[in-house]
Amino acid sequence: MEDRQTRERPPGTRDAERGVAVRLAGITKRFGEFVAVDDLNLDIYEGEFFSLLGPSGCGKTTTLRMIAGFEEPTEGEISVAGEEVQGVPPYRRPVNTVFQSYAIFPHLNVFDNVAFGLRRAKVPRDEVASRVTDACEMVQLAGFEKRKPGMLSGGQQQRVALARALVNRPKVLLLDEPLGALDLKLRKEMQLELKSLQEEVGITFVYVTHDQEEALTMSDRIAVMNEGKVQQLAGPTTLYETPANRFVAGFIGQTNVFSGTVEAADGDRVTLRTREGSRVEAVVRGETVPKESEETHVAVRPEKVRFGESGDNVCAAEVKQIVYLGASTQYIVRLEGGGKLVLYQQNAFDATGPSEGDGVSVAWDAQNCLVLED
Amino acid sequence: MAATTPKGSRKGTMGGLPDWGLLLGSVLVYLFLYAPIAVLIFFSFNSTRSTQVWTGFSLEWYGQLLSDPTILQALRTSLTVGVIATLIATVIGTMTALALSRHSFRGRAVADTAIYAATVMPEIVVGVSLLVFFVSVFVPMGIQLGITTIVIAHVAFTISFVTIVVRARLSGMDRSVEEAAQDLGASPVQTFFRVTLPLILPGVMAGALLAFTLSFDDFVITFFISGVGSSTLPLKIYSMIKFGVSPVINALSTVVLVATLFLIFGGSRLLVRKENAQE
Repeated sequence: MEDRQTRERPPGTRDAERGVAVRLAGITKRFGEFVAVDDLNLDIYEGEFFSLLGPSGCGKTTTLRMIAGFEEPTEGEISVAGEEVQGVPPYRRPVNTVFQSYAIFPHLNVFDNVAFGLRRAKVPRDEVASRVTDACEMVQLAGFEKRKPGMLSGGQQQRVALARALVNRPKVLLLDEPLGALDLKLRKEMQLELKSLQEEVGITFVYVTHDQEEALTMSDRIAVMNEGKVQQLAGPTTLYETPANRFVAGFIGQTNVFSGTVEAADGDRVTLRTREGSRVEAVVRGETVPKESEETHVAVRPEKVRFGESGDNVCAAEVKQIVYLGASTQYIVRLEGGGKLVLYQQNAFDATGPSEGDGVSVAWDAQNCLVLED
Repeated sequence: MAATTPKGSRKGTMGGLPDWGLLLGSVLVYLFLYAPIAVLIFFSFNSTRSTQVWTGFSLEWYGQLLSDPTILQALRTSLTVGVIATLIATVIGTMTALALSRHSFRGRAVADTAIYAATVMPEIVVGVSLLVFFVSVFVPMGIQLGITTIVIAHVAFTISFVTIVVRARLSGMDRSVEEAAQDLGASPVQTFFRVTLPLILPGVMAGALLAFTLSFDDFVITFFISGVGSSTLPLKIYSMIKFGVSPVINALSTVVLVATLFLIFGGSRLLVRKENAQE
């Protein structure tokens, strides 16, 4: 948590001094009637690991393809490294892409694949050889230069795609769900590897993913997108701890949401009467403080709910389902007043939780509750 | 009979026919298909003119074949027409395939259907229509029926075959590979020659071999538009047969058959090998 906090750079402090690698100004993309990206405004800074996160169809890949030059925005302007790229074809943009399907050239061996961009740029032979060798070493593919792509595993092809893009030393590297096809263990390894690689080369990474955990692990900042719009732009900790709205709260991690009307608002403390009739106390941390009798939502993360009888919010409940998750156990309980609640308990050898059907008492603090806009 | 029935299994029947009936049927079908060809090849090595009685092995008819200048001339015409028509048809056919699979334009569905329809067009109709076309358009321009019109006709009827073969190859190709090439700085022309063409090359080669084979074997269309003086090998065989069946015809047919088989098998092997290499 500590180092997460330091990695986040709140805008206005250090960002002012950093150059902008990619600027999207008022970008809208329509495919016929369908609006894929809706008035998007984003500044991505130099040397940043930036993620576009969202469910499929949210416009994240379209945004990436517009930066790469495969799609032209219907409205708005894109600049890369301070230069407008409107109408500039993909082969003249200072960006490189790692494709979801890797898109390795099947008729060329690893060396020729990696050398492809350098040769198009007319880099001298000697330099091509040394840069390709370095790039292969960087992604741990040294010794594979003469292999054909058909003889490589998925993980190795992924590395070829990465080396092939990075060898050109682009201003910005675009990655379109590059780890999607790998198995879980390899994916976890590659996440950490990608992150340290990015720190090593210092190139701006723009990373598209639908996997919230992947985005949280690697990114400096994340833009959560839905229906063509950025729902929230923040660092991983902020996104998780203070989601801006219901969509972000639901998309990043799991959450319990209570909907209802505000019964009492006293400074930053709000009491909500839920539709089921129970009361929930919450502390407002955002800028907008809901007024009395307004409709609003209160969210609490499952790991911040505990079994017990002391806290700001205490409720009798019945355990409906228990799911063992390895590091923790997930309990789904039915609250006395109605409504379900999910909570996580850390697994420890001396911890014995309730069984299915047991009557229990669950408690959580107002501090850990979030008041959410729609 | 036992060979068709695995040991220990019940005597199987298929469609009410007993096993031996099925076998007999199959043998008859294959005999019907290949016996005439086998006989033709067999008697091309006969030592006398007879095409009914075997009198001994000889290569005499092959020797006569090579010493007959009209046959050699016909072979030269066939090869010239085949090579030129194949080159033109392969380029146009490949471009057509790319256009049809990569671009959407008004009337694409019609163009697409027209390509397939052209492959099943009755040859006699194609031949007559081309003859009328050449006589009414080309001849007044001073272009006589001959090798030029044969080439044009062969290009016309082989394009659609090339297009179909190349399209099959294109549909199995990952488009993001082309995007990757552009992303890495390759212009559209460089992308085509460095990435697209090498990847569809087995399809293009197979299309070219198919085009050459069709051109080399074509009789009906060529018959209409060849004019006087320029005859291809199939036309030559036909004109020879009018003077009676000779073992030279057998020998010539055998040569054509072997050449055709060689091309077709070569083409299919090329496709299979390249596809395996890509896996």
